[in-house]
Amino acid sequence: MSERAGRTSTTGRPSRPPLAAIVAYTVRACVPTHGVLLLLPLAGAVLFGLLSRMSDEATAIAFVRVGGAAMHTLVVPITCLVIGDALLGAEIRSGVFAFTWLSPVRYSTIVIGRWLGGCLIAAVILVPAAAAAAIAAGSPSSVGAAIVAAVGGSAAYLALFLAIGASFKRPVVWSLVLVILVERLLGAALAGVAQLSPGWLAQSVLVGLTGPAGDLQREGVPSGWAAVGRLVLVAIIGLAIATRRLRSLRPASSAD
Amino acid sequence: MTATDPAFAPDATVEVDDASVWFGQKVALSELACSFGPGVTGLLGPNGAGKSTLMRAVTGLIDVNTGHVRVEGRDPRRDRDVHRRIALVPEDEAVPAQLTARELVRYVADLHGVRDPAAADRALELVDMLPAADRRLRGFSKGMRQRAKVAAALVTDPPVLVLDEPLNGADPVQRVRLTDLFRRLGAEGRTVIVSSHVLSEVERLADRVLVLVHGRLAAAGGHRAIRDAMDDRPRHVLIRSDDPRRLAAALLGVPTVAGVSLTDAGLVVTTDRAGDLAVAVAPVARGLGVHLREVRPLDDSLESLFRELVR
Repeated sequence: MSERAGRTSTTGRPSRPPLAAIVAYTVRACVPTHGVLLLLPLAGAVLFGLLSRMSDEATAIAFVRVGGAAMHTLVVPITCLVIGDALLGAEIRSGVFAFTWLSPVRYSTIVIGRWLGGCLIAAVILVPAAAAAAIAAGSPSSVGAAIVAAVGGSAAYLALFLAIGASFKRPVVWSLVLVILVERLLGAALAGVAQLSPGWLAQSVLVGLTGPAGDLQREGVPSGWAAVGRLVLVAIIGLAIATRRLRSLRPASSAD
Repeated sequence: MTATDPAFAPDATVEVDDASVWFGQKVALSELACSFGPGVTGLLGPNGAGKSTLMRAVTGLIDVNTGHVRVEGRDPRRDRDVHRRIALVPEDEAVPAQLTARELVRYVADLHGVRDPAAADRALELVDMLPAADRRLRGFSKGMRQRAKVAAALVTDPPVLVLDEPLNGADPVQRVRLTDLFRRLGAEGRTVIVSSHVLSEVERLADRVLVLVHGRLAAAGGHRAIRDAMDDRPRHVLIRSDDPRRLAAALLGVPTVAGVSLTDAGLVVTTDRAGDLAVAVAPVARGLGVHLREVRPLDDSLESLFRELVR
């Protein structure tokens, strides 16, 4: 036996409520193992912020048009896609999710706990990234709006990716389909799609709260705090779907 | 089902009623009917026999396509409260690698509302994991991961415990300890269902054995009872004597003997009725003046039984 004795504390601690336990577990188990991965969104945000400086427009407008758009087209969705897959899809594929599923905890508690844990991870990664992007763009007055947009967008994305993780065997593929085909292609053509798209809504939050020229505001898509409200609605829909799908989930492979 | 049907346990806590499960074209369980009660029941079968599928259906991880599974009268798939009464140690090696063993056990305890702060450490101690409790699961061997999962299952103090290949990867000392632990849990009145590929372990572990082949129940009962129920299958008996050739010729005239063959180990007799053969051999040898040195069934282990069942 090659066990190397570690600390052998035998003191216990009081039990936590299931929701708190799931949030803590999610933060502990789903953070990427390589710290450098946590810094990639920050590096990307700074790069896009600096690119904003190349525009001749006013800094706030340039940031919204270049840095902000890149944040909500690339940085936020891709970061959330990685986190969102770790929240559910990856655990279902590996079989680890059975530790959570085989408990008396309600499905809604599991979903909300996972989502809150994911939101915490996303906030730790994306809040500094959003702030850094605005500062790098030379528009420090946009920091607050950039943070609200990134947090709101990531909350909605994570809820949708949770729903996809609970619904499909290849959640990463379907999440990419959502981001690239549905949001970028269909969302660019159809305002109806953009109205429920976390990417378009987050960008609208940034536009509305930063207050630059009106031509940046997309017609038919709510702006500012109204867009935040729409993001909350999208998140609620995603969480409801995830909870419903969890009921019929088979969190085990067919292997015997 | 009858009161004496060995597929059904008295005082059953887990009931499987004509359950079928299929994955696409593959039938994993086919109209399986059996039950499990207090004590240790071994599940035996080759890969793909349906053991893990049955265990997953019993714990509600998968739904049965037809039939029913009940744990203490409740559907484990629909009733979340069933999970307060049942725990699974899955065969998958996968564990939350970032967590320590203690964190995993505490997480499961928290989800089940275990209020005793010392419960996690007690469960870890039961499987000798306390010294490694603060190490991350990522660095654990397969056997240590299995033990951590067993601790996570035991922390909820479940009346029904389902263990899918729990001894996989365990070293010999741990195998003995875990075997003793599972037997003790069964003796306490818990329903313990254990599957294993190491058939000798099932013999040591289980009071009762269910043999699954191709998703169907092939045999049930104690391993000797299963053997006795297979009277129509040939058995092999090794007879060592000082003159195997003369004894072989004489035994060919005995009605219970279906065939004989001379091997390096001795005379191997094939018979349909081993008991009758045992009675007949001694008088035949005495009549010939042949000294018997050993008469031993060659296939009284579960391994040989299993080979016959799946042939």
